[in-house]
Amino acid sequence: MRGPVAWWNDPWRPPRFLVAVTFGYLAWSLIPVLIAVLFSFNDGRSRTVWQGFSTRWYFGDPVKSVWHDAALHTALLQTLKLGVITTLITVPLGVMFAIGIDRWRGRLPAGANLLMLVSFVLPEVLLAVALLFVVTSLPLPIKLGTSAQVLGLVTFQIAYPAVLVRARLATIGTQYEEAAQDLGASPIAALRRVTLPMLLPAIFASTVLVFADVIDDFVLVRYLSGNSSTEPVSVKIYNTARAAPTPALNALATLLLFAALLAITVGYLVYRRMTRGDNAAAGGIAAFAGEA
Amino acid sequence: MTLTEVAAQAKPQSKRARGSALGPALAVPGIIWLLLFFLAPLYVVLAIVFGRTDPIFRTAVPVWNPLQWNPSQFNYVLSRIVGDNGIFGPALLRTAIYVLLAGLLCLLLAFPVAYYTARLSGRWKGLLLAALIAPFWISYMMRMLAWVNLLQDDGLVNRLFSLGGVFDVRTHWLTGQPVVVVLGLVYGYVAYMILPLYAGLDRLPQSTLEAARDLGASRFASFWRVTLPMCRPTIVAAVLLTCLPMLGDYFTSDMLSASPKTAMVGNLINDSVQSPGQTGQAGALVMLVLLVAVVPMFYYVRVTTRGDVAS
Amino acid sequence: MAVPNRPSPSRRQFLLRAALLAGGTPALMAFLDACATGDQTSSSAPSMKVASPDKPVTWDIAKDNAPIADGLAPEKAATLQLYTYADYVSPDAIKSFQEKYGTTVQVSTFNDTDEAITKIRAGSVDYDVFFPSYDQIGKLVNGSLLRPLNHSYVPNIKNVWPVFTNPFYDQQWRYTTPYTVYTTGIGWNNTVVPADIGALANPYESLWDPAYKNKTAVIDDWHTAMSMVLLKLGITDVNTSSAADLKSVGEQLTALVAATSPKVTITMYTDVPTGQIGLTQMWSGDIINAQNYLPEGATAEVLRYWFPTDGRGLVDNDLMVILRGGKNPVLSHLFINHMLETESAKQNFKQIGYQPPQVSMSPDSLVSDGFVAENIKTAIVRPEYYDVGYRILELEPDNDAAWHNVWRAFKAGGS
Repeated sequence: MRGPVAWWNDPWRPPRFLVAVTFGYLAWSLIPVLIAVLFSFNDGRSRTVWQGFSTRWYFGDPVKSVWHDAALHTALLQTLKLGVITTLITVPLGVMFAIGIDRWRGRLPAGANLLMLVSFVLPEVLLAVALLFVVTSLPLPIKLGTSAQVLGLVTFQIAYPAVLVRARLATIGTQYEEAAQDLGASPIAALRRVTLPMLLPAIFASTVLVFADVIDDFVLVRYLSGNSSTEPVSVKIYNTARAAPTPALNALATLLLFAALLAITVGYLVYRRMTRGDNAAAGGIAAFAGEA
Repeated sequence: MTLTEVAAQAKPQSKRARGSALGPALAVPGIIWLLLFFLAPLYVVLAIVFGRTDPIFRTAVPVWNPLQWNPSQFNYVLSRIVGDNGIFGPALLRTAIYVLLAGLLCLLLAFPVAYYTARLSGRWKGLLLAALIAPFWISYMMRMLAWVNLLQDDGLVNRLFSLGGVFDVRTHWLTGQPVVVVLGLVYGYVAYMILPLYAGLDRLPQSTLEAARDLGASRFASFWRVTLPMCRPTIVAAVLLTCLPMLGDYFTSDMLSASPKTAMVGNLINDSVQSPGQTGQAGALVMLVLLVAVVPMFYYVRVTTRGDVAS
Repeated sequence: MAVPNRPSPSRRQFLLRAALLAGGTPALMAFLDACATGDQTSSSAPSMKVASPDKPVTWDIAKDNAPIADGLAPEKAATLQLYTYADYVSPDAIKSFQEKYGTTVQVSTFNDTDEAITKIRAGSVDYDVFFPSYDQIGKLVNGSLLRPLNHSYVPNIKNVWPVFTNPFYDQQWRYTTPYTVYTTGIGWNNTVVPADIGALANPYESLWDPAYKNKTAVIDDWHTAMSMVLLKLGITDVNTSSAADLKSVGEQLTALVAATSPKVTITMYTDVPTGQIGLTQMWSGDIINAQNYLPEGATAEVLRYWFPTDGRGLVDNDLMVILRGGKNPVLSHLFINHMLETESAKQNFKQIGYQPPQVSMSPDSLVSDGFVAENIKTAIVRPEYYDVGYRILELEPDNDAAWHNVWRAFKAGGS
């Protein structure tokens, strides 16, 4: 048997330091969330002291549980509404933008590309304040509320599908589309029948990611919200956290978490099926997240 | 030469020329959207910053004609950065320090994690990646709220430090502690750094790294002199992608420490925007942050569009 | 990723451009300065009546803003929109209103009154009933944001203290009804801060005592917090326009941050009972409300409150007003009437802690009736306080700006 010193200096040893850091990070990152989920099942009103297991904050408590509290419902509905509407607008717009910029040469598309990347990295509060000024200073038909929030969110998220699709286009290359055109297809038909199906994994991945990002958004939706029926869950949590939070808040966030997990899992499984046998899309979760 | 290439060369130009109209047509809706809802609002910000204030309500009144712009609000903010009246200076400095510290900590944390996941995790790669992406799907507010609970005077963190009653630790974590705010920033943004680093590290050619070891470099030397320089563009991009959004953060300081001691420029903006008479000044601060962030942003764009090898 | 057709800038070119940008900005500013022409010379501020106890104000009712007619039926299938602080209207009172009139009520919240009035003024919201304090009444009326009341819908006004049918800030109660009365003193948790703060010579000074570092808080409202600093300094004009006074306030606030690093918040009613905040400037309603937020196993014994016994401290009352942008004027009137009813007022008191100025609820009976624990009976508001107490009034725009500047310097952590 080797002694401990030899074990420590074993040249074939696993990277212990890196493993420790990685798992330490994962614990630090996920344990607070698990604790929050745990306390959503707390029997009492405390969020720090465990008082027994109960589901009162989900549907038991007749006044404050998620099931019975209308304010929490509206928040949940608003979150989902924003998520769906924004995704429906952002993904087509972003995908078309990416394909268009890719096929266009010149300074204008380079400038547009720059603009899009800048909108990706800009601190959100700058865009939120700018849009707040627009909605409150100009006599537009848009008031504070869902429409303003959707506008802001689409602007903020449009870079996501654009970047993912462009990366994918770079990987695919132009050979398939050119081959299709050589074989007689018009550019639009080539696009529709050759390129788009190949882009489907990236489009799908960006849909799921944009949705997950929007339902979690805070700064933009808070600045552009009208009355409390347009405040999504993130704003509700923030407002209530600074007043008198109950575990019902934990329950609400847990429900949202499970919804997001479900969406991502379903999305990933569908993605896997879609890219069966497609070498360029292999890479599992990494490719799904757009990082391949 | 293959048949397709010959055919391609012999093709008449007209089809290619027609094809090139498709690009602009597809991109135009997106461009219009960005112009309308991204660039134009920035002009509205300018109109408010250089506009007037209503004398009774002191709400901001935008002035659209550049020739009538009144720079007094902008000058007011600029003159209050340094010197006797420097009320904004400390917050700006504090923001810079917090963001740099948080960025550095994020890098120190994210790099080993990304390196391990990308290159050394073998069959755990998929699972690890899923766990690393998980924070994106968990409400940011909920994660912060979880920490607020843990850090309360009678929360788990203090109880942990008390080692079950051996010591009596009742540190006040939530009252204006810069350490807590910086760590809060790290907690919130480190996930955004791990993914780009992962992507970049994933693409490093293993053969080059092995060659360095074969030629006699120690582990540390091969890391320092071969791996790091190769992933420099990735690191720069990841740092920028994480630190620039941090500049506008205000809710971390709000939730983890409701104290003026840790106020960042985001807090300044947030407090002033809805405050009568200070809306224009909030706009001026927005412009300042924009100007300060634009330089690294252009640098970032240059790095990512120079067709760099790693991405 | 696509490579742009032109070569990207070299490092030297890039740095040159950045330097030009940085250097050109002041030049640009100077240029704009020189170019700026008209509209800076706005005529002297149009006069705005500022109400005070010595100068009571009767607001005009504009011709195009007449009160609604008598005897209208409440709106059908409507949602009444309330705009108020968080946890400031009791859920039970709302529920009973919903059942009585078959309508729904939605509550939107704000964190501070500045933000609220900015949002209302921007015009994009349709709140019906708003709960401000009277230091905003001038702005609200002058901005045509309020709907005048039709008194025939609010017979329950007879339940409240008679002074409110003709208050100085709104003679003949044309636009407002009172909501709650409160004082602003010092509250503390006895287990975290065992000393008897009330017995000190100048209790306000305890907030500057380094012994309580990291355990203190001040109210996140510019006028309330800064008034307390003035009272600590012995200056009783809490609406002062003296630049010297404001300068001292600024210095005291800086000293406060250095001495005890207080939180700046309005969560006292949840944080004091758990001991998260030990000693704080506090509204009387918050310490009474804290009884509802005690952790398991703790009693109201730990709560304490101090307010000058002679009544020479900050006194205030909040109002209910109807906003012009609201779509349910009849329901708004009925809601106001409902909240002035004794039963609802008692329900409200129990759940939000703020005392309603009800004639039938004598201050001496509140302890025996179980609303207020014995050791915080100093939080009960007596009508006599209003004769000598200091009120937070609306400020002239210039003074308002000066006060806000001091507050903003404090919030920016400038030190």
